Amino acid sequence: MATSQDLPPKGGYDAIQWKRNLPSRGFRPSIYLGIMGAISLFGFWRLSVAMHMAREEKREKTWARIHLLPVLQAEADRDAVRRYYSTLEREKAIMKDHPDWADGKPVYHDGRMHLPSFVFLEDTKSAR
Amino acid sequence: MTTSKTNPREPHSLPYYIADNTQLPSHIPSVPEVGATSAPLLSASYFIGARCAPYNEDFMLCRSQSRTGEVDCLKEGRRVTRCAISVLEDINKNCQNEFRKHWGCLENENHDLSRCRLDEAPLNACVAKFLNLTKVIPDSDGTPINVYETPSFFQKKVKAKYEQ
Repeated sequence: MATSQDLPPKGGYDAIQWKRNLPSRGFRPSIYLGIMGAISLFGFWRLSVAMHMAREEKREKTWARIHLLPVLQAEADRDAVRRYYSTLEREKAIMKDHPDWADGKPVYHDGRMHLPSFVFLEDTKSAR
Repeated sequence: MTTSKTNPREPHSLPYYIADNTQLPSHIPSVPEVGATSAPLLSASYFIGARCAPYNEDFMLCRSQSRTGEVDCLKEGRRVTRCAISVLEDINKNCQNEFRKHWGCLENENHDLSRCRLDEAPLNACVAKFLNLTKVIPDSDGTPINVYETPSFFQKKVKAKYEQ
């Protein structure tokens, strides 16, 4: 009577891998460095194109402002002169009875005209 | 209440603007002002520069050479203003639709000239045809920024937006 036993298969087991199996894969490192360098160079080239374009666009913007500067400055000058003469008139009216007042006499002695740096308004709302 | 012994005045903010409405004295001739806002002025800036270059340079030279600046150069300033007004009037008479499209685009794109090339091209063509004014960037080294086919991220988006 043959009993069933847990025997190894016929022909034996497969061989066990006990040696290390580390195949070296991939390209050699210089090729990878070359690929990275090529991508970097492409990026730097794109960057330089963009920087040149940014410089020209800044030039364009600056020249637009240069062309517009006299128009705006002339308008501001007219407004400043208007306020200057208005301040002179206001001072004349306020100080007309004062004996020591000279109309339009400058505070500074350098011979140049100075635009008014303060604006005096009517005092209508403060509680005294 | 923020009044105290040391600060007796109440803070007050006025519901209106205080303006000094006195006019210029009558010995100074009056001139109509350029009423344009910033976008139309930016759009027309190169055409103003092309036509008004002598007056602009005259004015800036006068300002830099005079002792008092503002008062001495009022006449040159009037000339500058009148020239700018003439440029804007001519553009509005001949090329109003292209002009409005371009400065409308500038209003939407943060006054970035490089984002409005598609609207700038017909305006430049119309002004060159009717007013003989060309947009010239002095001292430019030739890098193409005016052509919308050049490689630029914004140009592709602008092109796609306009070809919807």
